Amino acid sequence: MKKFLFLAILVVFSFAAKKEAIIIVNGMTCPLCTMAVKTSLKHTPGVISAKVILHNKTATVIYDDTKTTPKKLLKAIEIVGYSGKIKEIKEVK
Amino acid sequence: MKRRDFLKTSAALGVLSAMPSVSFAKDDEVRRFRVQYFFNIKYPAKEYPARLWNPMPYNADYQHVRILNFDGNYNEYDLNNNNEYSANTFYAKWNKSDMPKIVLMEMVVETKYRTVPIDKIEWASKQNLPYPKEVKKYLLPTAHIPTTGIIKALADRIVGDTKDRFERVKKIYYWCTAHTYRDKKVIGCGKGDVRKMVKPEPIEEIYKKGYFGGKCTDLSSLFVALTRAAGIPAREVFGIRLGKSHFDKALGKSDKNGFANITTWQHCRAEYYIPGAGWIPTDPADITKLELVEHLKYDDPKVQTLVKKYLHSWEMNWMAFNHARDFVLYPRPVQYPLNMFGYPYAEVNDDVLNYYVPKSFEYKITSQEIF
Repeated sequence: MKKFLFLAILVVFSFAAKKEAIIIVNGMTCPLCTMAVKTSLKHTPGVISAKVILHNKTATVIYDDTKTTPKKLLKAIEIVGYSGKIKEIKEVK
Repeated sequence: MKRRDFLKTSAALGVLSAMPSVSFAKDDEVRRFRVQYFFNIKYPAKEYPARLWNPMPYNADYQHVRILNFDGNYNEYDLNNNNEYSANTFYAKWNKSDMPKIVLMEMVVETKYRTVPIDKIEWASKQNLPYPKEVKKYLLPTAHIPTTGIIKALADRIVGDTKDRFERVKKIYYWCTAHTYRDKKVIGCGKGDVRKMVKPEPIEEIYKKGYFGGKCTDLSSLFVALTRAAGIPAREVFGIRLGKSHFDKALGKSDKNGFANITTWQHCRAEYYIPGAGWIPTDPADITKLELVEHLKYDDPKVQTLVKKYLHSWEMNWMAFNHARDFVLYPRPVQYPLNMFGYPYAEVNDDVLNYYVPKSFEYKITSQEIF
């Protein structure tokens, strides 16, 4: 049983991949808007880190793609009253 | 701006004798307030850097900073007005550490009831003089102050074919004060985002039935946007209430010794410009506050008294900071532009501290009237 668990964990880690999503966020008009978006993203399971910048209206999100998806990231932005559009997704080594 | 420009000696204070408590309308009343700020910048980490920008009062005929002292354990500080609106700013920076991040500040501010006589405004308006170059920027839109589309259409509907500038302002002011209410649910002074306040509906419906809720920044911004759209320079003025109002407790209060905790007393007013009369103070938002707090209707005689006064006056139990909107602070923060600078603003790296929650930020502001 222990061997099975060890193998299962090994398999999960082998396929887990960190990805970086760059999202254009519309509707942010003040610095506090960035905090609303960032907080919502960081509360999304699978998100490892999030950085939101007002002047270029960009959210940069590092996430575990076995636990979340770009669609869920956009949903997290939508929940707090803004809209997002994926600009780029890339692997993080 | 250098620190010495802010610093004044206390000698001038002796010149001014303590004035007795007088009626709301007494024009020559000078009031003095000792205002104290305490900052202890908080963040959920053991070690962190921090940066703080605090709005500071300007000097004008109706308010003077007589004394300013500050101290703290910051690594850098700066007093400047190096931004698009020349907004006076106290800046402090702390390097990454586990130390508390403290600033203490004290100032003595003198204020005087501010009013521009109606006959002077009417006379100036009839001259129809050109606007000075430096005023024309207050005709332009900003990210939160639209002057075209639905706002322009609404402004045109309100002023009709009225040509006289002051008459146009009056129509907008009376329309705003009759068609707005103070919404308790709005956090702080509101964002002042006029685009989100006025929904695209038929103009006649908005004109007749429109009833807009908000707090002082929202309601002042609505007035400013409509006034600019009607071709008259206007701007918000951000500041903070300092103590007791002689008109009504809804507009400011203090204890029997003149002391008040003013941490959350930020208040946004407005000004409009008539060449020959200059910038004229107004405060459409406080009409709605009086109505809400005292449970009064718009046609109540007390409300109507304030409506008439605040078309062209300010009671100065308040001090003004700036009229900046959608601009960039100096030194430049990570997050910009800032939509308004009526509250302290602070960042830890790219995180903005919530200035609407002083206890988590953390800051405290008190005022003691000096009788």
